[in-house]
Amino acid sequence: MTAPSIRKRLLALLLLPAVLILIAGTLSDYFTALAPYRDAYDQALFDAALAISGHVRVDSQGRRTLSLPADAIAILRYDTYDSIFFKVTTEAGEFIAGDRDLPELHDNTTNPARGYARYHRESVRLVTYRAKGSTGTLEVSVAETLHKRDHTRSRILFSALAVDIAQLSLVLALIWIGVGLALGPLRSVEAQISRRSARDLTPLPGESIPTEIAGLVAALNRLFVTVRATSDAQRRFLGSAAHQLRTPLTGLQVQLELLTEDPAAAPVRERLAALLEATQRLTHTTQQLLALARSDEAANLSWEFTRIELSEVVEATVADRISAALAAGIDIGADTQPGTIQGVRWLLLEALSNLVNNAIAHTPTGGTITVRSGVAADTEFLEVSDSGIGIPVDERERVLERFFRGSNARGAGSGLGLAIVAEVAQLHGAAVAIDSGPDGKGTTVRMTFQRR
Amino acid sequence: MRVLVVEDDPLVGDGVRRALNNDGFAADLVASTEAAKSALDAESFDLVIADIGLPRQDGLQLVRSLRSRGQNVPVLMLTARDGLEDRVTALDLGADDYLTKPFQVPELLARCRALIRRANSVASARVGFGELELDTARKSVTAGGKTLELSQREWAILECLILNGGHIVSKSKLMSAIVDWSEDLTLNAVEVYVSRLRAKLAGAAVISTVRGMGYRIDEPRK
Repeated sequence: MTAPSIRKRLLALLLLPAVLILIAGTLSDYFTALAPYRDAYDQALFDAALAISGHVRVDSQGRRTLSLPADAIAILRYDTYDSIFFKVTTEAGEFIAGDRDLPELHDNTTNPARGYARYHRESVRLVTYRAKGSTGTLEVSVAETLHKRDHTRSRILFSALAVDIAQLSLVLALIWIGVGLALGPLRSVEAQISRRSARDLTPLPGESIPTEIAGLVAALNRLFVTVRATSDAQRRFLGSAAHQLRTPLTGLQVQLELLTEDPAAAPVRERLAALLEATQRLTHTTQQLLALARSDEAANLSWEFTRIELSEVVEATVADRISAALAAGIDIGADTQPGTIQGVRWLLLEALSNLVNNAIAHTPTGGTITVRSGVAADTEFLEVSDSGIGIPVDERERVLERFFRGSNARGAGSGLGLAIVAEVAQLHGAAVAIDSGPDGKGTTVRMTFQRR
Repeated sequence: MRVLVVEDDPLVGDGVRRALNNDGFAADLVASTEAAKSALDAESFDLVIADIGLPRQDGLQLVRSLRSRGQNVPVLMLTARDGLEDRVTALDLGADDYLTKPFQVPELLARCRALIRRANSVASARVGFGELELDTARKSVTAGGKTLELSQREWAILECLILNGGHIVSKSKLMSAIVDWSEDLTLNAVEVYVSRLRAKLAGAAVISTVRGMGYRIDEPRK
């Protein structure tokens, strides 16, 4: 079932009756126009009958004859379009003159009687006039073929149709335009809403809202306020959670680091080292969970997207991870071409440093890591490629899931790093592709930002 | 070298103080901006490490008040928040560097040494970097007491790298350190000088190449 459309309803409710009314109007125009012309032509036939009846005389033998000269009869019969016939009989039906086989009408209610008949396999209009006079009652019938009448009737029909069709089209056009204009404010509200960024939670302006949907818009605005309040609360919570979690973890980690090097703690050094490693893992996972929570939050809420130069993100990430890479004996480098996107800088940094951390963890000493940015095929990208152990082809989809760790994953990873990458990519409308390096070894992860 | 640590979390504060002590710094720990101000008024410090998230007056206010009183002591900010705003604000207010919690002790110490080195190079002519000792007035350098023979340009590169110790220095920045108006140098020339410098340092300091970005100097790993 398709969604109900106010426009369609309005058009159906207005157009259908309008069409029916106009069709009825056309029919009534047509039939109203028919009567006067028919009467006018009938009048001519009647006039002819009257004229004929006036020329019946009684001859010397007491017979009634038509005393019209042949010329006059020819004039009477003359018509440009139609054939005209006549017959004069006595009341008793005795033939006096004219076309002997012409039928007559026997209708005593009207005089003259009018009607249609068939004559010589043609339809004719027939007028029969009963004339009472000095020569007794006569019946004079005059008939004509219908060419002239048909012609006139079709002219009337066409002109009526032409006018009415023009009228109909005009009305339909006006309804169409009118409905469109009437729904204009609805469309402008819709456009206003769809133009907004998904993260824009400011209320819709009240002034241009039609009263019919003012309630709806007010409800939307109340929803925006609630969502914004929730988002602010969540952001404050995450900010303070970050602080509350990171500070004690830092203390724990620093103290354990110092203790593992303290000569006085030499007998328990191995246990301290294990504690330190666990603390580092805990710290790392906490960091990543916070990053995930905040990118979730960023996806829903009003995070400011700003213009980001991708090469700057690459350089900041490499600068941040260089110590770890050098300590692992890995040659790290940047290969940056300019490229800008709209984004959230710290999330992009988080994603990229997760990729670099993964690369460092899975690349043996002497390997290389290259972090790239630029524009390829008209889309911006960030990429980290390493010469490490690679990710099996059938796991490349799943490594983006939360807590999934590849079968050859190394180190104390949380399984969240690539999930963060996927999340950040999604928030930025970017696609994540995992491939082998150029020579089929290692891993290349590329975030491709779609043009919006 | 005397360091003031301003941190309200006792475990972190104590850890930082101990780490500095172990590395040969004298360190004092206070837990609030107010206490830090009195300490700074009373005595002189070579470095201040301040947490941003302090109670009542935060670390940003401490930096602001230090700078407004014309005190140029280098300040390293610590922050537990991951927003960019804090860092930008801190640097704008006159902090010299920042470190996000959680950090690791060697990273903290490297940053401290770099900040103190940079401040000292302005105040005095002598800069230490591991077993290297630079005399910026006489443009000479010794490694473990033995003088290294460096060309003017090699020396300029070494000085630029060490004063930015812990950070990556771009090739173009190094080039502007060695180029004089009379000559056009290519970026490749920088590579040549760096590789000569590496040979002469013979492991007294390690210059790492960061492809596409530049070079970084580190003290040799123990």
